[in-house]
Amino acid sequence: MAKVRGLKCRECGRPYPADPLHVCEFCFGPLEVDYDYDRLRGTLTRKAIESGPPSIWRYRALLPIEGDPAVGMHCGMTPLVKARNLARALGMREVYVKNDTVNHPSFSFKDRVVAVAITKALEFDFKVVACASTGNLANSVAAHAAEGGLQSFVFMPADLEQGKVIGTLIYSPTLVAVEGNYDEVNRLCSEIADKYRWAFVNINIRPYYAEGSKTFGYEIAEQLGWRTPQHIVVPAAGGSLVIKIWKGLKEFERLGLLSGPCAVRMHLAQAEGCGPIVTAIKENSEIIKPVKPKTIAKSLAIGNPADGYYAYKVVKGSGGHGEHASDDEIVEGMKLLASTEGIFAETAGGVTVAAAKRLIEQGRIPRDESLVLCITGNGLKTQEAVAPTLKVSLQIKPTLRSFDESMTSHGIEVTPRNLS
Amino acid sequence: MPKRMVTLIFPQTLVTEPVIYRLSRQFKIIPNVRRARVTEKAGEVMLELEGEEEELNRGIAYLNTLGIRVEPTQGKGH
Repeated sequence: MAKVRGLKCRECGRPYPADPLHVCEFCFGPLEVDYDYDRLRGTLTRKAIESGPPSIWRYRALLPIEGDPAVGMHCGMTPLVKARNLARALGMREVYVKNDTVNHPSFSFKDRVVAVAITKALEFDFKVVACASTGNLANSVAAHAAEGGLQSFVFMPADLEQGKVIGTLIYSPTLVAVEGNYDEVNRLCSEIADKYRWAFVNINIRPYYAEGSKTFGYEIAEQLGWRTPQHIVVPAAGGSLVIKIWKGLKEFERLGLLSGPCAVRMHLAQAEGCGPIVTAIKENSEIIKPVKPKTIAKSLAIGNPADGYYAYKVVKGSGGHGEHASDDEIVEGMKLLASTEGIFAETAGGVTVAAAKRLIEQGRIPRDESLVLCITGNGLKTQEAVAPTLKVSLQIKPTLRSFDESMTSHGIEVTPRNLS
Repeated sequence: MPKRMVTLIFPQTLVTEPVIYRLSRQFKIIPNVRRARVTEKAGEVMLELEGEEEELNRGIAYLNTLGIRVEPTQGKGH
């Protein structure tokens, strides 16, 4: 199925073959996959998608692989939770949580992009895969490389959370802890990618890898009954996810798969300590000024976002906005999501909830409109962020009397069952 | 000679200065601009720098001292 024409420069439009390339050699613009949508129109139907597997591969016609998927057979189709309790807490009528804390196999949305990237790396006959990562990508690359029988190298900042480190090492990659921040790790990886013939999923395989994020948007639309919500809040690190969710929804619209137009406002969430794209949105500046990250949301700590400009354009073009979240608000956001919906998200989820709260309070997300929150990673990976704020509720001696006394002293009221 | 793809991010105060001209005059570096964007608030130029490694490092250090961010270009759009 020749659905992929090749690659195309996002800036100058110059075509390239579908090879492991990522930068236009003329204007240095990023390359992206160019599809033949006319070939897909009419053949790609709702029924065809619904009869596919309960994974991202039900959308394989819109993903840049040539053969069968090689890894990640259970990735995607995560729950879209109607979050009634959270909606009440936020003063909203209709809130949904797209819950990638339970994505397979490594509990973050990165499994979507990596499943596509590793399949593509195998198609290109690479023997080694690698990545620069803030943690979630490392987990996912190591897991999928193990499944695909590939050697893997993952490069991470040395100060990452223990959960991210253990969640990578268990798959037996070569983990390289770099004494620097993510932007320095990424810079090093660019040099390594020039020297070795490796598939760096977020460097030379990036055009293919990034396409996996479209499935986040496809699933939102399909799970809402083939329609888009009025607002989506997306966390941003490099800025790719919001672009690809938007692209996925526009593709569905173009192929006639949506009931009605794609009329969604895309909003961006970043931490105050690392929010260069949101700052640009607030300042109406198309130039993203890099920052030195300082936030507990380490998975979002990319100070020089590769896709920042395009993320800015998507948010502005859709009529959305952006908001920052302080470290305290991030923790409160994590707790609010957990205590209202039973969903333990990592710090990025706290950023999303906190930024959404600000946007609602500002009236940018009207309370009577529908909202989807993109929750992209599991809280068990970043326990350090909330551990200092959580305490054992009651500590007692192993007697009923001690329990009752403790309940009374803490003002906890419960009704004993009637024994008569 | 080695080449580097870089993005220069200029603060507002330097947008009107001929910084790339000075870079090529003061160091043995050949700049080749591929794309650029200048707004009221900042400037962003994507270019290729060609020169010996040591000269490239010195030139980039010079730009940094002026207050210009030099970042590796990885298909960054604008």
